[in-house]
Amino acid sequence: MKQTIFLIIVVGVVILGFGSIYTINETEQAVVTQFGKPVGGAITDAGVHFKTPIIQTVIKFDKRILEWDGSANEIPTLDNKYIFIDAFARWRISDALQFYKSAKNEMLAQSRLDDILDGAVRDEIANRTMVEIVRSSNRAMIIQDVESSSVNVNNKVIEDYSAKGARLDIVESILESVSKRLLDLNMGIEILDVQLKRINYTRQVQEQVFNRMISGQNQIAEKYRAQGQGKKQEILGMQVQRKKEIISGAYLESQKIKGEADANATRIYADAYGKSPEFYNFIKTLDTYSNTLDSSTQFILSTDNHYLKYLGK
Amino acid sequence: MAQKIKIGDVDIQIPSINFKKFGGLIPLLVILFLASLSFYTVDANENGVVLRMGKYSHTTMPGLHFKIPLIDRVYPIKVDFQSKLEFGFRTLKAGVRTEYSKRNFNQESWMLTGDLNIAQVHWIVQYKIKDAADYLFKVRDVENTIKDVSEATLRLMIGDRSFTEVLQAERRAIADAAKIHMQEILDKYETGIAIKMVQLQGVLPPDPVADSFNEVIRAEQEEETLVNEANQAFNKEIYRAEGEAKKLINEAKGYAIERINTATGDATLFELVLKEYNKAPQITRDRYYIETMNTVLGNAPNKVIVDSQLENFLPMMNLKNKGSK
Repeated sequence: MKQTIFLIIVVGVVILGFGSIYTINETEQAVVTQFGKPVGGAITDAGVHFKTPIIQTVIKFDKRILEWDGSANEIPTLDNKYIFIDAFARWRISDALQFYKSAKNEMLAQSRLDDILDGAVRDEIANRTMVEIVRSSNRAMIIQDVESSSVNVNNKVIEDYSAKGARLDIVESILESVSKRLLDLNMGIEILDVQLKRINYTRQVQEQVFNRMISGQNQIAEKYRAQGQGKKQEILGMQVQRKKEIISGAYLESQKIKGEADANATRIYADAYGKSPEFYNFIKTLDTYSNTLDSSTQFILSTDNHYLKYLGK
Repeated sequence: MAQKIKIGDVDIQIPSINFKKFGGLIPLLVILFLASLSFYTVDANENGVVLRMGKYSHTTMPGLHFKIPLIDRVYPIKVDFQSKLEFGFRTLKAGVRTEYSKRNFNQESWMLTGDLNIAQVHWIVQYKIKDAADYLFKVRDVENTIKDVSEATLRLMIGDRSFTEVLQAERRAIADAAKIHMQEILDKYETGIAIKMVQLQGVLPPDPVADSFNEVIRAEQEEETLVNEANQAFNKEIYRAEGEAKKLINEAKGYAIERINTATGDATLFELVLKEYNKAPQITRDRYYIETMNTVLGNAPNKVIVDSQLENFLPMMNLKNKGSK
C-alpha cells in the first residue's frame, strides 16, 4: 500500500515536471495563457521555459518573416489604363501577445492583411500614371524611332516616356501607409516590405498594345524596304555620274595629249622648214605635182612653157 | 522455467531469460547507444546547425562532431550547393539535348517595358546558402521568397528600359543590376542567401508580335540585298568605264607618238636634203624640176603642145574617152 502511494506520487511529480517545461525553437515565439487569458509577455527567446502545469497553455507562433501574396487586382491608373497589379509583402509577428489578442491566428491575420494591403495598393496605383508605375527613374531611353521615319506620315501623339518613374516611391508609399495602418490597429504585426511583383495590362489593353507593336514594326519594315529601293536608285545614279566623269575625264586627257603632240609636231615642222622656206616651197610644190597630176590628166602645153623652152629652138 | 500463454488454440511459450546473466551487459549497451547518439558527421559541402533545447547553439564545419544526446539537434544544410531557379520557362530534363516544358509561362515572362511595350523575358537565378543559421531561422519558405523577389526585381529593371534596350544593349546591365538589387532585398530579409548569378536567357518580343519583328529583320536583309546588288552593278560598270578611259588615253598617247615621229622624220628628211641642196642649189633645183616633169608628163598619155605664136586655137577635147582611159 505504501509502495503504491509512493509510485503514484513519483508518477505525478514526473507528469507535473514535464508539464511545466516547454521548449521554444529558434523559429518560434509563444504566448502563455491561463484559462484562455494570456499571462505575462510574449516569449521570444529560444530555449527551455517553465510554466504552471495543467492550468497554463502555451500557444506558439512563428517568429520568422512570413509571406503575403495578394491576388492580382484590376486597378485603373490615373491616366485611365486598366492594369493588373500583383503585389507581395513580407511581414512578421512583432508582438505575439498583441497578435494573439487581436488576430488570434495566422490565417485571420492574412485576411486582415489582404484588406489593408489591397486597399493601400489600390489607393496608390489609382493616383499614379502608367509611366510612373512602370518606370523607376527618369533615365533617358533609346526608343526605336518609328515616328520620324520618312515613310510614316500619320503623326501620332507620342507619349512622354521620360516622365519621372516612381515605382520605388510607390512601393515606399504603400509600405508607409500599411505600416501606419497596422500601428493604428495595434495587431502586433510589422510589415517589412512591399513589392509590386507583376504589372500587366488587362486582356483588351494587351491586344491594343500588341496591335500597336505590330503596326510599329510593319512601319519599320516598310521603311527598310523603301530605303533599300532608294539606296539602289542612288547608287545607280551615282554609277551614271561616275561613268560619265571617268569617260569625259579620259576624253579630256586624250585630247590634251593629242593637242600637245600636234603642237610639238607643228614646232618640229616649223623649225625644220623655217631653215629654208623657199626650198620647202619649191620641193613641196613639185611633190604635189607628182601626187596630184596622174595618168588621167590631159596636158595642153604652150611652147612658152619653161619646161618646153628647148623645143621651140 | 518456461511460461505459457494460451491465445485461442495456440500455446505460446515465452522463453525464460536469466537477466542476472546479462546484468553486466545492459549498462554497457546503454552507454554504447548513447555514445552512438553523441557523434555525427557533417559532409564536405554541408554545415551543421546545432540547436540545444531549441536554441541555436553553433554551426559546425565538415567533419566528425560531438553533441549532447537527446538535447542537441543537428540540421545539415548544403551551403556549397548552387541552386537554380528558372523564370519564364522550365527545364524538363537537362542533358545533351535539354528538353523544355511546352507550357507557356506568359504570366511570368511577359513584362512591361519603360516605353509601355511588352517583352518576353526568360531568366535564371543561381544562389547559394551563405548563412545556414539565417537560412533556417529567419524567413519562412526561403525559395518562394527568392522567386517573388526575383520577379519583382526583373520587372523593376525591365520597366525602366525601353523595349529596344531590353532586346539589345541593356541585357547585361539588367542582369547585373538585378543581381545587386535582389541581394539587397534578400539581405534585408536576412534570408542567408547569396545570389551568385542572374542571367537573361532569352529576351524576345512576345509570341503574338514575333512575326512582325521577323518581318523587320527580313526587310532589313532585303534592303541590304538591294544595296549589294546596286553596288555590284555599280562596280561592274565603273570597272568597264575605267577600262574604256584607259583605252582612250592609250590611243591618244599612240597618236601623239606617231605624230611626233612623223614630224621628226619629215623634218630630218628635209634638213638632210636641204644640206645637200645648199651645196649646189641651182643644179638640184633643175634636177628636181626635170625629174618631176618626167614623172608627171610621163604618166600622162595625152599631151598637146600648142605654139605660143598661134592666134586662135580651139582645143577639141574628146570627153568621151576621158573615162575609159
